[in-house]
Amino acid sequence: MKQIIAIIRDERIEATKEALEIIGVTGVTFLYVSGRGQQKGKISTHELGVSLNRNLRMPLMNAHYGREPPDDPTEVTGSPFPPDTEFAFGFLPKRMLIMVACNDDVSRIVQAIVNANLTGSHGDGRVFICPMISAIRVRTGEQGDRALS
Amino acid sequence: MKMIWAVIRPESTQRVIKALDRAGIGGMTRIHVTGHGKELGITLGAIRYMEIPKEMLMIVVPDNDVAKTVIIIRSEAKTGPENAPGEGTIGDGKIFVTYVDDAFSIRTAGKSRQGTEMT
Repeated sequence: MKQIIAIIRDERIEATKEALEIIGVTGVTFLYVSGRGQQKGKISTHELGVSLNRNLRMPLMNAHYGREPPDDPTEVTGSPFPPDTEFAFGFLPKRMLIMVACNDDVSRIVQAIVNANLTGSHGDGRVFICPMISAIRVRTGEQGDRALS
Repeated sequence: MKMIWAVIRPESTQRVIKALDRAGIGGMTRIHVTGHGKELGITLGAIRYMEIPKEMLMIVVPDNDVAKTVIIIRSEAKTGPENAPGEGTIGDGKIFVTYVDDAFSIRTAGKSRQGTEMT
């Protein structure tokens, strides 16, 4: 039995949920976390427009109040920074997925998470696999692998 | 490769992060949690507060860096008089170290990143 801890982009959560549903993973715990990796939370304006768009759009649209909102939601309008500016945000919003699976299912689940989250740029996240000794279903008291099914 | 879960005071988080930064440990995940220790929370008058806010840091480091990381977290998260080494205050937190069988970086299409390159 293994515990799988995945840290993924906030906006890929729906795609990940679908991917996990397709391969039949039912028990997942979702956490809101903040994190950073080797870049220490640095991000370029291009990525700002794409991945932090949801956080940025509101203030930018407020700044342009009275005008039409941008057609392309990924477009950052009115950014005062040149395109290659790097920002150090420290900690970026991420989602953490925790699930426990039988040993045979681990590689399948990891593949599904990776495929659903792969964009090829920094900040895609990590998947950790940790040993888990046992599991108990509270409702029935079943133990071990039977508690997972 | 080991996974370190550190439950620390929210007000000492920044100091811990900066100290880890200086030691070259950049990657970590931060979670807001609440909890209590064996003192069962804080009793103020007639009210007992059992859900005390804490900050949980999750750091995965290669085996060689575990001792260094734990020492840094411990020395920075400890509160209380400076001249009493080893003596902290109740509620400073705990550090747990667990095994990691395997780790995958999603960006490199799931290539296993065992060992020292994992930071």
